[in-house]
Amino acid sequence: MSNKIYHTLSLFDKWVQENNNLVNKWKQQEGGGDTLSRDQSQTHLKWCTSEFETLLRKIQGVPPLADHTQLEVSVVYNACVCFTAQSQFTEAELLLKQATERALQMAGNFPVASDPPVLWRTVLKSVENTALNSCVLYLLCLQWAIWLATCQLKMIEEFQEELTSLVETLPDGVWDDRRSKARGKSFDISLLVMEPRRLVELLQICTSIAQGAERLSEGHSSEALSGLQIASSLPAPRILVAYTHFLSGSCLAHMSRPQMALQCYRKALETDFRCVCALYQSMLIYRQLGNTQAEIQALHLLHSTRMLPSATEPALACTHLLSPSSLLRSQSLSSLLSVPSALSVLHNLALKCVLHGRVSEGVEHYLDLLAAFHSEDHQVHAEVPPLPRLTELYLEAGTALLMAQRPADCMALCDEVISTTLELLPEKLILEELEQRNEIRDVSVEGEDRVAMLLWTGAAYLLQGHCQTHLKDWKQAVIHYTRCINLLMKVWFKKRGFQPQIPSADMIVKEGTYLSVLQKLKGLSLAGRGISFTQTDQLKEALRDLQLSLQAFPECVGAGLWCGEVLWRLGRRRMAAAHWEKTWTFSAQSSLE
Amino acid sequence: MEGRCAVETLAEFGFSGTSCTPKVKSGFGIYVFLCMGSDEVYVFNTQERKLTAVLQFPGLVTDLVESPDKQLLYVSCRSGVYCVSLSFLLSRAQSSLANTSSCLAELKVSSEFLVVGEEGVLSLLLIDSVLLMLSQTDVSWVLSLYKTPKQTQSSSYEMLSSFTLPLVSAFVHEDELKTRMRRRPVLICVFHGQTASPPFSSTSSAEAASPVSHFHLKPVLFKRLFGIDTALIKSPVILCGLPDGRLCFLPLRLPGSRLRVLHSLEQPVVFIGASVVMKTGPEHAQCLVAVGELGRVLLIKMDKGGSEGECSRAGFTEGCVPGPVVCGCVDKRHLYYSTGSDLLALDLSKGSSGIEGQECGEETSAALQSPTSLNVCRVISLAQPTCSPAGEVQLLGLSIRGQLQRITLPVWRKDARMSKLPQGRCSARDLLSAIGDVYERASVLKTSIKSKNQTLRHLNQVLNISFLLLASTREEHFPIQEKPIRCHAMTKWSRLLQKDSLNLTCVLDNSSPYVLERGWTLTIAAFPLSCSPSAGGESSSTNFSFQFCNLHPGETLEVSLPLAAAGDTYFPVTINCSLTFSVTSLLGEEEVASFTGLQSGCISLPLNTLTVDWLHVLQVKSSTASHKNTTSQPNNITTADTIQAFVRSHRIWCSGRGDGGGGGASALKQEQYSACVRVSSELLRDTLVLKSSDLDPQEPMLAPHNLCISLLDWMLSDSLGGVKMGHRGDEIALSSPVVHAQGPNGDTVKLTAKEVNIGEESMAKESLSAIEVRVESSSVAAVCGLHHAVLHRVQTLLQRAPKRPASTKTVQSLGLRQALQRAECLLQQIQQSRISAAFGVGESTRQMTHSFLSVYRELRENPLLII
Repeated sequence: MSNKIYHTLSLFDKWVQENNNLVNKWKQQEGGGDTLSRDQSQTHLKWCTSEFETLLRKIQGVPPLADHTQLEVSVVYNACVCFTAQSQFTEAELLLKQATERALQMAGNFPVASDPPVLWRTVLKSVENTALNSCVLYLLCLQWAIWLATCQLKMIEEFQEELTSLVETLPDGVWDDRRSKARGKSFDISLLVMEPRRLVELLQICTSIAQGAERLSEGHSSEALSGLQIASSLPAPRILVAYTHFLSGSCLAHMSRPQMALQCYRKALETDFRCVCALYQSMLIYRQLGNTQAEIQALHLLHSTRMLPSATEPALACTHLLSPSSLLRSQSLSSLLSVPSALSVLHNLALKCVLHGRVSEGVEHYLDLLAAFHSEDHQVHAEVPPLPRLTELYLEAGTALLMAQRPADCMALCDEVISTTLELLPEKLILEELEQRNEIRDVSVEGEDRVAMLLWTGAAYLLQGHCQTHLKDWKQAVIHYTRCINLLMKVWFKKRGFQPQIPSADMIVKEGTYLSVLQKLKGLSLAGRGISFTQTDQLKEALRDLQLSLQAFPECVGAGLWCGEVLWRLGRRRMAAAHWEKTWTFSAQSSLE
Repeated sequence: MEGRCAVETLAEFGFSGTSCTPKVKSGFGIYVFLCMGSDEVYVFNTQERKLTAVLQFPGLVTDLVESPDKQLLYVSCRSGVYCVSLSFLLSRAQSSLANTSSCLAELKVSSEFLVVGEEGVLSLLLIDSVLLMLSQTDVSWVLSLYKTPKQTQSSSYEMLSSFTLPLVSAFVHEDELKTRMRRRPVLICVFHGQTASPPFSSTSSAEAASPVSHFHLKPVLFKRLFGIDTALIKSPVILCGLPDGRLCFLPLRLPGSRLRVLHSLEQPVVFIGASVVMKTGPEHAQCLVAVGELGRVLLIKMDKGGSEGECSRAGFTEGCVPGPVVCGCVDKRHLYYSTGSDLLALDLSKGSSGIEGQECGEETSAALQSPTSLNVCRVISLAQPTCSPAGEVQLLGLSIRGQLQRITLPVWRKDARMSKLPQGRCSARDLLSAIGDVYERASVLKTSIKSKNQTLRHLNQVLNISFLLLASTREEHFPIQEKPIRCHAMTKWSRLLQKDSLNLTCVLDNSSPYVLERGWTLTIAAFPLSCSPSAGGESSSTNFSFQFCNLHPGETLEVSLPLAAAGDTYFPVTINCSLTFSVTSLLGEEEVASFTGLQSGCISLPLNTLTVDWLHVLQVKSSTASHKNTTSQPNNITTADTIQAFVRSHRIWCSGRGDGGGGGASALKQEQYSACVRVSSELLRDTLVLKSSDLDPQEPMLAPHNLCISLLDWMLSDSLGGVKMGHRGDEIALSSPVVHAQGPNGDTVKLTAKEVNIGEESMAKESLSAIEVRVESSSVAAVCGLHHAVLHRVQTLLQRAPKRPASTKTVQSLGLRQALQRAECLLQQIQQSRISAAFGVGESTRQMTHSFLSVYRELRENPLLII
């Protein structure tokens, strides 16, 4: 009689109860997951993990007995899932190793090798066709998850066979087996925090995605494509299916089949609209195809999705225990999935609009962009790819404003740039000739590029001059152009082995260097001043400036034409004709190119 | 009067030692907030000159910041950041004042005011509607930005972003944490000069509107330091001074910005501020000032461009003022800082008051050399100075004793510098009081130096002893006898008030060349190996500590302590002797309390470990009386004792047997338990003779009979491991190989030694002569204990045995195999019963115990011979 009282609380039952309590508590918490903050759920997870671990330690204190395998494996499974969810892979692997070794002991063998693959093969062989088999398969699932999360795709490939057989046997075989067994016995079975079937499904599709990304980055696009197309029909969360479509699209894009790639990207977006990367990649393809209207459209869409409040949270975040994001950690995948920030997209959009004739639209976007910088609560993120320097953005916006016939606004923006940089400009600056294309920039102590700063200011003066020209205030225009020229004259050029000098026209200037920009600016500002002088009938000065402009920047068509004009007015008709002819042939050449 | 500061004490608060820097902050016009490193924040009304309220937070308050436009107060403590509105605070304070008779309103701030649950926030800063918090993790500093809601009512604090900066060296930092007060990182905000109205205008309204930790910097300097992109969008910049000495900055609104290091002071940053420096001219701050804890002052201002082609650049001028700097603040021209013993003012405008060029920096550092003393001591925290319309500068300070002081500085004059006191007008009384001050300070310093020297000398001795002891513990094989400082002990039964008790006399022997001075304590901890069932299953240890004054080299200290009363059976007892040194004796209570890292303030050095086992606590009856009736024994065992012993042993036996066994027939007959150990006589002869030959070299080989006696004698008298039986010293040697004795629980035990021949049946000539020591008693506990003790002795005997070439005699291989088999059998039996017990199947507890007992007894029957 008294025995019965003791019996009801036998240790085994107590352990099962403890495990089930923990699992239920977790499930409750997961159910109300939205109300809790991330931190709280993290601490809860941590607590659960340590509880499972303690329980496991108690259970493993007893020599391995076949009767308790179900319980032990359940607890190992739960503990490992918790560890993996917290990215504590070494701990999880240690638990798995201990558990497999105990399974081996139960099967009557003794662990021989410590190498995981060898150990797994021995275990799988020795428990084949025994009751233990199902339990060991659970553990293999977790090993798979760990390999995937730590990007050991080679290991997964090595075990491909076992894992595919796992997918086939686990859903119908093992789980039902457990149920029927449980029904036969009086005590209830030990619960699991995550259904193994769901885990296997998740693992399968995540593995396909990771493998696809890996192959794609290695350049085996067609191989990757076949794998991904199979994976796209697997049962999985919508976002993961969308990723398979997206990756298929990327493969096709790599195989230079842009139209098919676009189809795949569209499918990805249709499957899950959170797959923003598909939109981004489509935009890039449109750009590559030269379809500007479509590109602008895509940028529009991209910007509006990025501005949605839901866009800030990552698409893969999931209230469940093992989220896809914790399993998909490979570098190649994340680089494929990355999308630039809203600001960067907005800048791209604005630039495209202005460059392709939609100036007023572009101006609006530029103004939005500038407003975003001044707004108090925009979020400061590390930008990939980085935005251009703010000064350059200001100048771009100013140009756009001028193009949109708003010279006064352009002047204001340029004023801001000038007032910021002016005090910091050096009295004299020496630009050294460098053999390499990538110049070592002259960075001063405070970390600012002094040449760039000077060029920005020059560009701002030039723009102001243009604004005045636009307003037909020729005197003011001359003043601004002169400021620009004076500024640019501060730059000296130093050839190797020579004294620094003011750069002259006969130097061969490489494209894209500071020097080429400098010369271009000089040419443009001189031409601008020349034109302004022409308007005020100071023809001599005009001729001088225009000729200097052509020296500094021979490709300047406007200067050539105006030079002809001035010569014509001065009565030097033959020279004028020669000038015009030269300029026309030149511009025809460049347009042919 | 000119040249003197007026110090006015506004209020006094008790100030307790703290782990965090205290903070005084004036806000909302008339209020002053004080947090002094406890969980409370005091709200003081400067107009009414009284304490308005005390806010009690659930954890240690680390920082506070007020939002002037919304009348909110943000307070960070261990568990997160709380937000209290001023109107709520005042209304609650008034209502509680009305309700209760006490004059102080104490408000408990509960978790409903928690706005951000970030743990470990050290510093706060509020910029417009962005709340910044700086906290520290194991590997990095974390600066998090939260957006405060537009409406006061809503409580959604959205996290905007967070930035991290790796810790420079975790180790150094931890070290710092232990040795000194935890310094709060300094956070200030710097604006581009053109954004808003400059804060240094003398109108009081502007001052109230702009929080003290916000500075408007001259545009050129701003651009130079933080880049033109930051200047272009007029983004505020956060400057942050860390305890590791780094000055970091973060442009708040620049896309892609991150925390970057501007400079490193290489000592904890105490203060960062900005000053106009020039008396006339623009109202924007011209100069950034940072002050380190050890007195390094960094001034950042624009240098005028020198050589041709060079533009103006930001100049970093470092200088040193005599430290330590406890706190600081700046006003238009001056940097005020407190060293704890004096408040000093530095005139920042000296260096840059007109002369341009290269000498500028030198002159600034020259200015740093001559701070002006303001003669106010013990200030540990300063609030931002205010300037009265009359031109007087007022500082709010908190003294180390918890006094809130208003310090009114004398009017600065261009012609009369503070450092040059106008001699003519100085009265004799002033001079005299100054002399008195200096004398007092000097004498205090002298005594403190003297006591420090004393302490150092003392500490040197302590260190010597520590190294000596640590070295001897590191060498494990160091015999106890050779340790320079060691303990040995003696057991002695004594009888007091009809009760027997066992006393242990411990002797501390100092044979080292050092004196054990005041502050050392001998600590003796006795751990029973097993526990008595009455103690509830937990092994209890008893600690004794003995303070002593001076123990010179060669001296000994004898202490005695009660080890056990009669009836306690939980032997053997392990005695851990250690020497403890308390820092308190060196420094005194208050100083120790200020070291937060030193929890106990004690150094404990283990000496040696002694074991008191059953053989030590036996009360041996003399062999002549052994056959007589127990009542007449010289050990004065009364009848009552005997009966008690009998009853106890019977109980043990009964519980061992269990009533499930059925038969009560054997209840009257006491069961005798026994155990034996066999030792080869050759070994004994070698070791014991070797030992006795020291005393009597010409004694012949011991006869076997004598060998038995001498073995028993040795077992009972030898000071094994430093413990001796006290009472046997004067008794005659044993005359027979049978010893009757009484154990500590009153049971009689019998120790017999006899010679036996052991040989394997197959080869009779290979027989070995051996001595069998048998322990017999009616008490299981006694047999167990004695068996253990005897084995222990034999073990030491074996260690002592001289090395010999391996014996040619065959080892009893057969016996060995049998013994192993038996042991394995028993192990299985034990595992079986444990598993079944764990799962509650099978036998009841009583049966279990029984089976364990039988296993135990079998284990005792070891036929193996110790050679």
